[in-house]
Amino acid sequence: MLAGTGLKFGQRRRVLFSISFVLLLGLAFRFYSIQIINYDSYSNKSAKNSVRKIIKTAPRGIIYDRNLVPIVDNRPTYGLSLVPYDVTKEFNYPLFEKITDLPKLEIKSKIESAKKRFSRFKPFPLKRHVDFEERSRIEENKLEFPGVNFSEFPARTYPNEARLTHVLGYLRTVTDEVLKKADPELNYQYGDVFGFNGLERIYEKHLRGQDGVEFRLVDIYGIDHGKYSTAREYEIEMGEPLILSIDSRLQMKAEYLLVDKKGSVICMNPENGEVLAFVSSPDYDLNSFIGPIPNKLWDQWNQNSEKPLMNRGIQGTYPPGSIIKLISAAYALDNNIIEENWSVLCNGAYSYGDRTFHCWNIAGHGHVDITQSIKYSCNIFYYKLIQIIGFENWAQIVSQFGFGKKTGIDIPGEKRGIVPTRKYMNDKYTSRGWGKGSLLNFVIGQGDMLATPQQVIQIMNLISTAGNSYEPHVKKGIDSKPLNISLKKSTWKFLKDATLAVVNDNDGTGKNANSIFGKVAGKTSTVQNPHGEDHSWFSGYITLPNNKIMSLAVIVENGGKGSETGASTARELFNEFAKLNK
Amino acid sequence: MNWILTKLVSRHSIIKINYRIVSPIILLCLLSLFLLNSTSAESAFIASTFSRQLLWLAMGVFVFIGAQLLRIQFFNEYAYHFYAILIIAILGTYFMPIKGGAQRWLIFGVLSIQPSEIGKVLMVFVLAKFLSDQRENSNHLRILILTILLALIPALMIFNQPDLGTAIIYLAITYPMLYWAGIRPYYLFIVVAPVISVLAAFNIIAFYLWMLLIILLSIYSQPKVLEGVILFVINVGCGLLTPYIWNNILYEHQRNRILTFLDPLRDSQGAGYQIIQSMTAIGSGGFWGTGLGQGTQTHLRYLPVRDTDFIISVSGEELGLFSILFILFSYTFFIYWMLVYAEKIRNNFSSLVMIGFVSILFVHLLVNMGMTVGLFPVTGLPAPFISYGGSFLLTCLLMIGLINNITNNEI
Repeated sequence: MLAGTGLKFGQRRRVLFSISFVLLLGLAFRFYSIQIINYDSYSNKSAKNSVRKIIKTAPRGIIYDRNLVPIVDNRPTYGLSLVPYDVTKEFNYPLFEKITDLPKLEIKSKIESAKKRFSRFKPFPLKRHVDFEERSRIEENKLEFPGVNFSEFPARTYPNEARLTHVLGYLRTVTDEVLKKADPELNYQYGDVFGFNGLERIYEKHLRGQDGVEFRLVDIYGIDHGKYSTAREYEIEMGEPLILSIDSRLQMKAEYLLVDKKGSVICMNPENGEVLAFVSSPDYDLNSFIGPIPNKLWDQWNQNSEKPLMNRGIQGTYPPGSIIKLISAAYALDNNIIEENWSVLCNGAYSYGDRTFHCWNIAGHGHVDITQSIKYSCNIFYYKLIQIIGFENWAQIVSQFGFGKKTGIDIPGEKRGIVPTRKYMNDKYTSRGWGKGSLLNFVIGQGDMLATPQQVIQIMNLISTAGNSYEPHVKKGIDSKPLNISLKKSTWKFLKDATLAVVNDNDGTGKNANSIFGKVAGKTSTVQNPHGEDHSWFSGYITLPNNKIMSLAVIVENGGKGSETGASTARELFNEFAKLNK
Repeated sequence: MNWILTKLVSRHSIIKINYRIVSPIILLCLLSLFLLNSTSAESAFIASTFSRQLLWLAMGVFVFIGAQLLRIQFFNEYAYHFYAILIIAILGTYFMPIKGGAQRWLIFGVLSIQPSEIGKVLMVFVLAKFLSDQRENSNHLRILILTILLALIPALMIFNQPDLGTAIIYLAITYPMLYWAGIRPYYLFIVVAPVISVLAAFNIIAFYLWMLLIILLSIYSQPKVLEGVILFVINVGCGLLTPYIWNNILYEHQRNRILTFLDPLRDSQGAGYQIIQSMTAIGSGGFWGTGLGQGTQTHLRYLPVRDTDFIISVSGEELGLFSILFILFSYTFFIYWMLVYAEKIRNNFSSLVMIGFVSILFVHLLVNMGMTVGLFPVTGLPAPFISYGGSFLLTCLLMIGLINNITNNEI
């Protein structure tokens, strides 16, 4: 031993004890700082580690037709994920690619790097909205795919034969922009879907449920150890059901009538504004994808020259044609501008300024009074009448009938159409660029005048209710705004009689629309189309013996004469309505 | 056989229990049983670490009693023989099959022995003998170098097994024992200084301050001028070489490995993962803990190797800071009395053995607990008396037995 004495040992003991005491004190302080000072952050971390938040996607509300037949329902679709830890060398990537269409090299490298992280026990999501078939094919080969995992969540399905495509709309996945703009009440999360169009969009708040949140204790291997009871939970709440005024049977018939045609059909109850059928053709197949619409498909539809995404019922703007004559006639009578026996000689052509305007009947209609002018749809009568009415008065009354403004239907994307006014014409053509002759085109619903089928049907809604109709709506039970025009009783009677004559008289242009089941009134239009065959319009209404009324508007693009395609399509629908409402 | 018995066993041993030494150990062993009972909740009783630890403790009691019969001076007389046997045994492990990625065991059929484990005790005997044999006026520097060499040889062999933790223990006990033996602290400083120089070289201000400290200490300690100059030059050299080696000789992955070893938290996915989970477990315990069997980190297996390396984390989570303070207090109590007895003992060898043993236990505890809270790298050193582990527990109880024996018979 070196220079050791008792005293010296005492010193050394104190030094050694002090050193070890200080070191243990340091340890104690370190534990104190972790366990007491930073307790909150570590206990949060601990909870994050072991408590898994499980979001259960709420199914959206089911959409029913007026008879509670489901039109949009939910079905389970599956989220495909892999637990990286469980993926072994035996994993058959080529087969996996074949079934799922996921690029094997990309998946492989993602999984390999996930294996190194300590999230390797958590399912790594690969694909959402896998359908049952694809899932089955993976399950069949489960031994080839160790680590494969499915979660279930709801997606839309369309069980009814009536497609109702443009009314229903579709869902898309939320993007950053949507998240930024969205109503915080909706509480969108990444990966959620939202109604991008149609009723799904208008009634998003109504249809969207409340996702359920559950907290579960999960061990490091992902094995569930029961509920974590101290956290707040949310029960899953399904979206509220939406009941439509649509009658799926009538809808189906209407869709059938427009197969392979371009155009639109709208059927309504004029007495309360309920839309009974709403078709825009061509459409797209909502059942051709699962979950949110894939971007590729959407782009494809968007670029299609037939414009299947366009909702022709409210976005297709057409010259309304002769149907608009009814409004001029009503104005003239209501304001006593002409006598009831005022008549015009139609010889098929009319010279105005340096231009000659023709009647559709080149042979001419002879002497035409106001009732006949509607029945035969004589143009010459209106060429003369409009000169008495005047541009301003005409534009005003046409606007009163709802043209040039939105009808207020609960489907998004509605267009206003155009009611030309002096200002409009000056803006478009400059004050010297157009002549008074344009007015002669407007009065017969041609030229710059543009209207949607949803606007055109309102003429018939007003006539059939003597000016006491309602704005259109697709959701049943809405108190929609009244659509009122006050005209003299005699004026309404004239309009009714004239439109009845169009269909019921043997020489009426709309006789093809007549139905043996009820009293049909209406008006045809044939709209000249510089790009091809004329567009064929019919708009009218049927009154059944039990006093039920259905109005409709039909336009078939390039359908030829309104008295033919338009009217006969209408007849089929009147018959169907009668059958359904005996 | 008879010869060994007469040398080894003392007929006149006083056998009694020194509660100043034994009571903290009993309390720590009880704590260990509570903790292991908690972690064993999911496994069958027979296979559980709890029941096995119980069995090892029972064996440990016999080891403790056996240790009371031994003649301590036997280990003084034959220390170098033990040293030779130890070196040969460690060499022997190199010819054994690899088990768990390392060659630490001598395997005889079902029986496997880790020589480096009991070697810790033997190393204490060797160093105690070497130091107690020195005369008062010996050359301090020579003794220092020889002592460190004695420990360094088996330490390097063990490091190569590889078993960094155990190798650290072999070296760590030399310092307190050298200090106890009376070596000039200045020489102890000389040995550590280059290591600190290397570390300080990463920060220019730290390096200048450190150089200043070396000069001041050299002047204060008044060494021979040559020694002082050599010390200074070596340290400056180390400091200057470090950045060069770091930047030009080491590869990126080697640099990363060193950095990760020193600061495991920088690699949260790899080396730091265990420590992060351990700190999370400890932090979520608060003062009183979540209660035995209630720790989510422990029971949902986020906490790795919870029975051995991270048993302290289990204690921290389930029994809170309270249990940690209990552990630290128990050790402080133990260390205090160990040092008191080491001072009282007239026999230099036995006194040094006391210091060696307490150093072993203290360093284990410090490194293990430091590891669970991210102060030290993961070296695999268990917490004495608390961690599960048969042979280590027996080794520790043997030391306690010998200490008890020494306090009874050598004062």
